[in-house]
Amino acid sequence: MNYSAAVFAIAGLLLLLAIAWLAFSETRRRTKFVRNGRRERPGLHISHLPQIKRALANSDFMYLRDHGHPALAKRIRKERRRIALSYLACLRVEFERLLHLARMVAVMSPHVAVAQEVQGLRLNLEFSYRYYLIYFRLVSGIAPLEAIGNLSDMVSALTVRMETAMSELGEQAVLAAELLAHNGGRLDAGG
Amino acid sequence: MQLALSAILITFRHFRRLPFFMAYVCLNVAQGLFLYGIYQHYGQYSYAAAWWSEAITLLARLFATVEILHLVLIPYRGIWGLAWRVVAGTSLVMLIFVVAASQGRPDLALMRADRGYHLIFATTLISCLALIRYYSIRVENAYKALLVGFCFYSCVKILLNTVLYDFLYRQHSQYTFLWQILSVAPYLLVLLFWSAALAHPLPEMREQQAVLPTSVYQWISPEINLQLLAINKQLMNFFKIEEEPQQ
Repeated sequence: MNYSAAVFAIAGLLLLLAIAWLAFSETRRRTKFVRNGRRERPGLHISHLPQIKRALANSDFMYLRDHGHPALAKRIRKERRRIALSYLACLRVEFERLLHLARMVAVMSPHVAVAQEVQGLRLNLEFSYRYYLIYFRLVSGIAPLEAIGNLSDMVSALTVRMETAMSELGEQAVLAAELLAHNGGRLDAGG
Repeated sequence: MQLALSAILITFRHFRRLPFFMAYVCLNVAQGLFLYGIYQHYGQYSYAAAWWSEAITLLARLFATVEILHLVLIPYRGIWGLAWRVVAGTSLVMLIFVVAASQGRPDLALMRADRGYHLIFATTLISCLALIRYYSIRVENAYKALLVGFCFYSCVKILLNTVLYDFLYRQHSQYTFLWQILSVAPYLLVLLFWSAALAHPLPEMREQQAVLPTSVYQWISPEINLQLLAINKQLMNFFKIEEEPQQ
């Protein structure tokens, strides 16, 4: 089989896998805005930022180590790292919710700018890449735990600005949430 | 199977909303009869006519697919406009790829053109489905079945035209027979799938979902992108900041 045939065969196989994925895969993680008829409060995890930051502070570990409890310091560090990772996952959910809101605005708009959408997609991919980079560095223990504070600050700022923007939309924002609820907050193409 | 599908389309009056799809199915039936007739009279000399008839059905399939995508996306005017651009861009890129990758023997030009068409078609359709998924747009089961069926068959044709030819062309005396069997079997499967999906009334047409004025999008979208850009810039410096000596 020559080079060209191999390329076409691989392309055909990849396309077959792609259509199978689009047709049968579970729809993407749902991000619910509405639960039991009531809007979920945004920034739920962001509001826990001070406690998380406090839990990640080095002072506790240094105190325990300096007072002769290295094993306890190690155990607490391990537990807090686990909490930090959970927190990081929650931040991602909130980040995705904001992106989802942006997509809903695009869906309901009569005109969509290609450049804006492409830029949004590119930035989203970049964020995902960097998020996982930080995630794995945290998991492997080669990143300081305090680093997570920066990420949460960024998401917090975005949440506040988006909330301000959406509140100014008034009734239109309510319509957006209703439409999202109608769609079940999910991606139904091929799934 | 094609006749059964035509009967379903007529019984449930789907031809009103899917006229191009109906035309595609009818053209396939007509193509079958045409090919049977000319092979009876002209045998191997009917080769060119067979390919021409194939080109017509491929064109009809293209129109049918655009019709279904239009039905799915018409309530979302902005996304429909975006989808058109995705279709045009993907098709152009894939066309360049196909032309570049299909150089060689002139006697295989028609087969390679067929394979190239299916590759462009499948890639473009998958891009559109990915776009629909990205924007959380709901696709009714009947339309989803039609689109997935088209795409599945194109992928199978790419593999058949590539792998089967290269593996069996010189080695197997029954290559043509095998190729026909392996082409027809997936198509029958797709027809069965479509028949099952269309044996129900089609869902009601959705109302226009574009309820926001354009100015809202023009305001919100750049705002979000600016925020994302700022976050990404900070993420780039994430470890640099944190690696500073801690007090």
